[in-house]
Amino acid sequence: MTRRAFLKGTGVALLLPCMESLGQVSDSDSPRRLLTIVNHLSFYQPKLIPREDGMLDQTLPLLSELSDHFKHLKIFSGLDNPAVQNGFGHTPCVGILSGYFNKLHRRNRISIDQAVADAIGGSTRFKSLVFQAGENLNFSQISWDKHGLPVRQIDSPRKIFNLLFEIDEKEKLQQQILAENRSILDAVLAQASSMEKRLNATDRSKLDEFLTSVREVEQSVKRRAYWADRPKPEVDYDLEGFDRKSVDDYVGTLLDLAVLALETDSTRAVTVQIPFWEGFKEPGISGNYHDLSHHGQKPEKIKKLLMLEHGILNRINNTLNRMKSKTVGSRTLFQQTTTLLTASMGSANSHNFDDLPALLFDERIKTPGHWQKKDVPMSNLYLGLLQLFSPEQDHFGESTGAFEVLS
Amino acid sequence: MTRLICALLLIGGILTSPLAADHQLKEFFATHCIRCHGKEEQNGAVRLDKPVDALLKDVELLERVANVLESGEMPPKEEEQPQADLLSGVLETLQVRLTAIRPTNPLKRLTRSEYTNTIRDLFGLDFDFSGLLPPDHVEQGFDKFGEAHLMSPHQVMSYLTTARFIAERVLPDVKPRTRTWEFDVRHFHGSKNFATGGGGDYRDGDDYVLTGFRPYRSNLHFSVDTQSHDQFTIPEFGLYRLEVMAHSEKSKEGEVVGINLGDGRHPTSFQLLRRIPMPYGSDGFSTELTLSAGDQLAFTYDSARVPGRSLAAKPHTGPAMRFTKVKITGPLIDQWPTAAMQSILPKAEMRPAELVDHLTLFLTHRQMTPEERRGIVEIAREQLKAGTSMAGTARIVLTTLLTSPHFIYKAESPELTAVERAYRLSYFLWNSAPDTELFNAAKSGSLVTAPRAQVERMLNDTRSSRFIDDFTRQWLQLEKVDDFGPDVRAYKNVRRMTVDSMAREGRELFRHMLGNSLSMENFIDSEFVMVNDRLARFYGLPEVKGDGFVPVNLPAGSERGGLVAQAGFLKLTSTDFATSPIHRGAWILKNLYNERIAPPADVSIIEPDIRGTTTIREAILKHQQLESCGRCHSKIDPLGFALEYYDPVGRKRSEYRHVQELPVDPDGTSFTKKLEFELRPIDAAMTLANGREVRDMLTLKAALIADRELILKGIIGKLISYAHGRELTRADRSHVDEIFAAIEPKEFSLREAVHAIVGHAAFGLR
Repeated sequence: MTRRAFLKGTGVALLLPCMESLGQVSDSDSPRRLLTIVNHLSFYQPKLIPREDGMLDQTLPLLSELSDHFKHLKIFSGLDNPAVQNGFGHTPCVGILSGYFNKLHRRNRISIDQAVADAIGGSTRFKSLVFQAGENLNFSQISWDKHGLPVRQIDSPRKIFNLLFEIDEKEKLQQQILAENRSILDAVLAQASSMEKRLNATDRSKLDEFLTSVREVEQSVKRRAYWADRPKPEVDYDLEGFDRKSVDDYVGTLLDLAVLALETDSTRAVTVQIPFWEGFKEPGISGNYHDLSHHGQKPEKIKKLLMLEHGILNRINNTLNRMKSKTVGSRTLFQQTTTLLTASMGSANSHNFDDLPALLFDERIKTPGHWQKKDVPMSNLYLGLLQLFSPEQDHFGESTGAFEVLS
Repeated sequence: MTRLICALLLIGGILTSPLAADHQLKEFFATHCIRCHGKEEQNGAVRLDKPVDALLKDVELLERVANVLESGEMPPKEEEQPQADLLSGVLETLQVRLTAIRPTNPLKRLTRSEYTNTIRDLFGLDFDFSGLLPPDHVEQGFDKFGEAHLMSPHQVMSYLTTARFIAERVLPDVKPRTRTWEFDVRHFHGSKNFATGGGGDYRDGDDYVLTGFRPYRSNLHFSVDTQSHDQFTIPEFGLYRLEVMAHSEKSKEGEVVGINLGDGRHPTSFQLLRRIPMPYGSDGFSTELTLSAGDQLAFTYDSARVPGRSLAAKPHTGPAMRFTKVKITGPLIDQWPTAAMQSILPKAEMRPAELVDHLTLFLTHRQMTPEERRGIVEIAREQLKAGTSMAGTARIVLTTLLTSPHFIYKAESPELTAVERAYRLSYFLWNSAPDTELFNAAKSGSLVTAPRAQVERMLNDTRSSRFIDDFTRQWLQLEKVDDFGPDVRAYKNVRRMTVDSMAREGRELFRHMLGNSLSMENFIDSEFVMVNDRLARFYGLPEVKGDGFVPVNLPAGSERGGLVAQAGFLKLTSTDFATSPIHRGAWILKNLYNERIAPPADVSIIEPDIRGTTTIREAILKHQQLESCGRCHSKIDPLGFALEYYDPVGRKRSEYRHVQELPVDPDGTSFTKKLEFELRPIDAAMTLANGREVRDMLTLKAALIADRELILKGIIGKLISYAHGRELTRADRSHVDEIFAAIEPKEFSLREAVHAIVGHAAFGLR
């Protein structure tokens, strides 16, 4: 397995914009950020999650990959994603960040990354960014907005990079469309307000939903138009070519881009899904990641699977280190960022959804260590996490309480 | 309407006076209700000790009170019962009160399918907007209910994006160049190419052969040249003709090929565009599809018989589909400028206001007020002033109008205007906007005085298919037939196309009945069933040829016939390998009796034959006795249990196959759990709330026939609420009764029911 240097250059020119209408970021500010990493195929938990509650040590090989950050790490294990029955295959994985799964109902489906983005994403170019490597499959959608609708998950490092840093060749056209949209929305709004006058009370409340929605769309169009006028940040980063599909390369690149997105304050909430489907192969390892994760307890398969998982966790460890070395405004990126690492399944080998691990990295954690939370709904962790960003929230998904994540 | 008012006056006359009636109501509540629904206790969160005036304003509460009193659910059996004449007096008072309040019918917007059809009819643009517009969310009833229509920023943004998409495509600046591409075996690729290797598809001489191995992966896609694996991609939006040379081998019957959108190398994200039935002996097909730039196509062999097993050990010997050539031509243009372009811009030059008014009328047949259109005219003026071409200006105006509430919403006056009536009728029977002839009929007034001719014309038009599809899809919940399983470990012989045919049976029955003016009683029981080749085989009926549905008379002794004996219904109310009597019973109550029942909030539904029958039957019987559960379950459970002799895919069975998943061997190589089966006896007999015993399909159907009037009125109610776009209340009872009475002399013909609904006075009211 090849390990490439992460950043060819480390000089990142910061262009923190000032937005009069949308809030300001200055050097003295230290905004909160969220990085969410989801491994669809989970980890080989016997080598990652301690048997006992309490302090972390280096006896477990997978966990040791993260030993640089034991001081700031809380591990919760055994969490449950309720309302999931066996026999659904990979499908319930769509509900991992919602702590909930019901493919028939949109209510309650918002995912934690979007709930946090709604709270903190007001003043950046993107409210949130969701990355996923490889093709968009039916069950790889994990990010859901407050209407229960899927959030765009960008599936190519090149597209992500262009979105963040490249000048859009269609910029002129985009600007024209945005300007057009604004005048169209204005006219529609005027038409609706005038139409509203001749309606009865029930209908007026119906049309009012429309008016409110139009106004909200106007805001987001305004935001896009505002940012379309501002130059994108400049970074010195060489994006790899991706002819060879390797999990390790992909994870490394996606995490690089996540850090760059946060560092340039392009967004404050980034979600990364680790690639999991067939077609990802590692040089030097026969069999693909998906296949190996369904190891059937065969020792030689587990051995290969662990090689892959070591690689992934090593990449995550390096990413956290890099966040510690970057300063944005007055503090390091790590100090500003809460990082959640979780998995869509307890074990891909048995396809279970009731033994989920969650690793939480935050500089403010007082008592690091491991806590088993057998059968506690995942939503309780999410509510605790959400309250870090938006303390007034008292409910998330199927929550029955909130974890004190920083205690 | 006059008849209705007379009826009201009559009832009002019998009662002494409204005031006395209200007093009687108050006394009744005080004597029989308040102990459990008053200050101390509020069972079911119902409180009746409020002033009568306030109570009488709460329509929902009155509905509920009237319903439980009428059905005898309240007061509870163990309590003192009111005298019969007192009770009927109170019910009459309630009914008068409820009838006096006209149910609200909130503002409705176009549903996604109405939008799609309207655009198709306006512009000749046959395009599926499901990738652009969000789906309509329905909890109860139909997506046509204004009540259920949510509006969100996402929805508005989608309208805007879709509007621009349409405007750019119906008003292009340059004429697209029609091209032809031809592909043969040198360009063809199949499942052989996946990273995992293997796969059952192969090249053979001049053909590429699909076996259907691992159905979701097996597909034929084609590359731009013979060297690479880069998929052919549609270059620009337009109508394309696909001509495919293909034939089946080792098959004695018609086969089905699917045309899918998506990257053939990653087939899990396929979107099925069309299914092409290929009759026996067919050597290919030709079809036309509207496609977008960037679309990629792949063919699947949908009627394949191969279960998901590896073909490495044993070669495939069963039916297969051989593809020889694929020819794609497009974008097809029959005239230039297109008909749509001519109707959008009838003149080369138009003034801003003229353009806006023309397009407004073209889209909605209703003019906007000067105030409403001012902003839009302003846009047109500025565009023209800035030197934008006439077509460019028209595009922006069109985009604005398609995003405006004037187009999106279907506003209705308390008494419908001629145009509004044409819209209601058209969205009822065509699920789309009216055509010119219908508008003319509406404006001449003949739609009010003699609607029959228009209704006949509309039902005979192919567009009525959209009504049949849309109504039955939602009424019978046919899209759920394929939601669960069946688990391949337990049901090895039920194939994809069998399930597909099951999902079509209810719709085809409706179509046949509507087309041939058959009695609605056929929904309860019938001497024939609508089947195609696969379903006839599945039901064990004489052979039928082809994928199309035809009526087949049932042999003596067959239990099929009627909706409750359809495999589709029996399957959609089951899970992977268990039937669910509660789901089945609830489906019958909701969809045949048109009763409103909601599942309890926090209780999961227990599946009987998965966890042992005796105990579950006992548990269900027991919770029928709990008052809170029993209210609904004493009605639901017997109906569902009577169907326990039909398994999760709708086949007759004589005992349960109790299924147990064996734990995975921790040292084993497979993570698939093995199943263990055990046979258990079925005990399906139960007593309905009216005291009648049902124990199997035949006794159940007999009980349903005994309730014929209730069920036919239930289905009439479904049709009315679909047509009017709102849920029915007790206030609509006389409406339903009048339709029932009107079609009784016509043997309850479904077609006559549609006529009666359109001809009824209430059709002209909001």
